[in-house]
This record gives sequence, C-alpha cells and structure tokens, in this order.
Amino acid sequence: MSELLRPRYWAAHLLALVLLGAAVWLGLWQYDAWSARRAAEARSLTEEDPKPLADVIGPDDPFPGNYVGQPVDVVGTWVPDGTVYVSGREHDGRDGYWVVTPLAVGDSADDPALLVVRGWTDDVETAPPAPTGEAELTGWLQPAEGTGEVDENPGDDVLPQLRIADAIQHVDQDLYGAYAVVTDVAATPAGEGLEQATLDQLPEVGRFTGLRNFFYAIEWWFFGAFVAFIWWRWVREERPDPAR
Amino acid sequence: MSKLVTSYRALALVVGVLLVAGSISSILKYLLTEGSDLQELGDQLTWIWLVHGWIYMVYVVVAFFLSRRAGWSLQFLGVLLLAGLVPVMIFFVEHRVVARLKAEHPELVG
Repeated sequence: MSELLRPRYWAAHLLALVLLGAAVWLGLWQYDAWSARRAAEARSLTEEDPKPLADVIGPDDPFPGNYVGQPVDVVGTWVPDGTVYVSGREHDGRDGYWVVTPLAVGDSADDPALLVVRGWTDDVETAPPAPTGEAELTGWLQPAEGTGEVDENPGDDVLPQLRIADAIQHVDQDLYGAYAVVTDVAATPAGEGLEQATLDQLPEVGRFTGLRNFFYAIEWWFFGAFVAFIWWRWVREERPDPAR
Repeated sequence: MSKLVTSYRALALVVGVLLVAGSISSILKYLLTEGSDLQELGDQLTWIWLVHGWIYMVYVVVAFFLSRRAGWSLQFLGVLLLAGLVPVMIFFVEHRVVARLKAEHPELVG
C-alpha cells in the first residue's frame, strides 16, 4: 500500500480527489437548486392577488385543496365573543398565542363565520380587546387544523390548535371549514397591538417542479461514484501483486 | 462486430449529435438578445442537456468496459470519456477507436 503513497502517484490521487469533490459539490448545488425552486413555488401562491372569499370557498364547502395559502378578501361583521387563543405558536423564537376572532361573512352577525387569525401575542392577559362592528380585510386561506390533540381545559378560551369542532363551542353560528391569517397585521385595524402571525401551511408543490435540477444532481453523483470506482480499480492494479 | 463495439458506436453517435445540438441551444440562449425568437428557442431546448447527461452516463459505462476488453490504458479511456464532453471531438475519437480495434483486436470488429 505504501508504494501508492510515493510522490510519483500524488498527481493521480489529487486528480481523483478533485474530480470526486467537484462531482459531489455540483450534485449538491443542483440538489439545492431543486429545493429552492420548490420552496419558491410554494410561496408564490401566497403572493398572488387576493380573490373574494366567495370565489374560493362557501360556508358549507370542503376546503379547496389547491387554494392553501391563497390570499382572500373578506367582508363581514366581527363576533367578538367568539374570540379564542391558540397556544404553542412561535414568533421570533418566542412561544405565544394566535389571537383568533370569527368574522361573520355577510351583513348580519348571525351569518356563518370565518375564523380570522388577527395576529400573535405572547400573553393572553395583555392581548388587545376583540374588535367589533364591520370589517374588511385580506388573509391567507388555510385549512382547519386537527391532529386530535386534546384540549385539556375545554372551559377556557385557549385551544391547543385551530380546530373547527373546538372553536364552534365559542360561537352561536356555523363556521367555515377554513381559517384566514391576516396578511398584513400592521395595516389591519383589527391587528392593532398584535404582531404578525406566520403562515403554517404552504400549498403543495407540483411533482415536476425543478425535476430537471434533481436529475442533474443524480447525474453528478453518478459521475462522482464512477470516479471513485476508477480510482479504486487503478489502485488495485498498480499495487504490486504479492504473489508475483 | 461484437455487441459491445456496436453499442459503443451507436452511443458515440447519439452523444455526439446531442452534444452539438445542446451546444447550439446554449449559444442561442446565452449569446442572442434576451427575448428574441431564436433566444427563446435556445432556452426551450435546454432539456437536450438533460438527455445528453443521462445517455452520457451509459456511454461512460460502455466505454469503460470496451477499454477493459481491449486492454487500453487509463489515459486512452480518459480520451474516450472526454470526447463525450467536447463538441465534435467524439466523431474523430470514434473513428480512432474503430481503427485501433481493427489493428489490435480484429476479432471484436469482425
């Protein structure tokens, strides 16, 4: 083996290492490009122009799967008594709550309501009072949560997650099978005193997005493996045969 | 002619043609004014590189086995592999490969 460490072989070893390193690095680069493209596509729906809520979902409709994160314009009347807080929400690394108030979509406060995440707060006690009257706002549409987490204190206004079945205990009307996160808390009157809540669920990305980059990544790694293989064969052949 | 040699020659032809086509698409894409018809055509044809890459992988494997079979040096294998990456070079290399096989291994070329 020590035979192969002699200076006259250094150039060959170096060449193999450089080629191998380059192939691995180029593969990683393409793999990153693939991930970045998919992330960009997931975000892009959330940056589209808002649609009126009625064009996307009705009060009794199931959640339209291709509209996760779609900005929607909502007009309605606040239902302040229905305000709830969703625990375990992080903002800038701090644990806190989402502040959620239902908005009855229509002229009357008895109309079916859409849950609206007005913003984020670190303390339920100091959260600003719920808004009243009519409102017009833009929010990202999100499907209701529901992983079966148990609400340990069903009597209070704090929920472990934004589940329609839990929230409906706090209102007297029907609820949409969705909720909205106010897109610009600072510019919305109902968000006063609250911080921006971040989007939890991004739309699903098409299967073929950035696929070309993924295939390039595989090609580069294949060539890397081939370099390693040739190197190994060469080392085996150059090694003096002990039987000879 | 052995299957190995036939595969090598067919792959060399395909890789060579794709390499020239891919180079033309890149020249159109990067050297012409952004937005012009030919420039956009070049942009749409970049998938040729993807196809070239995958067929080149097969070429690499076949060239490796051929060079083992003929007992050629690693240097000459390097030339075979490089030919799949430098436009037009592969047509000359393929010619040279056939000539060498005829001289050294007539049984493979038949």
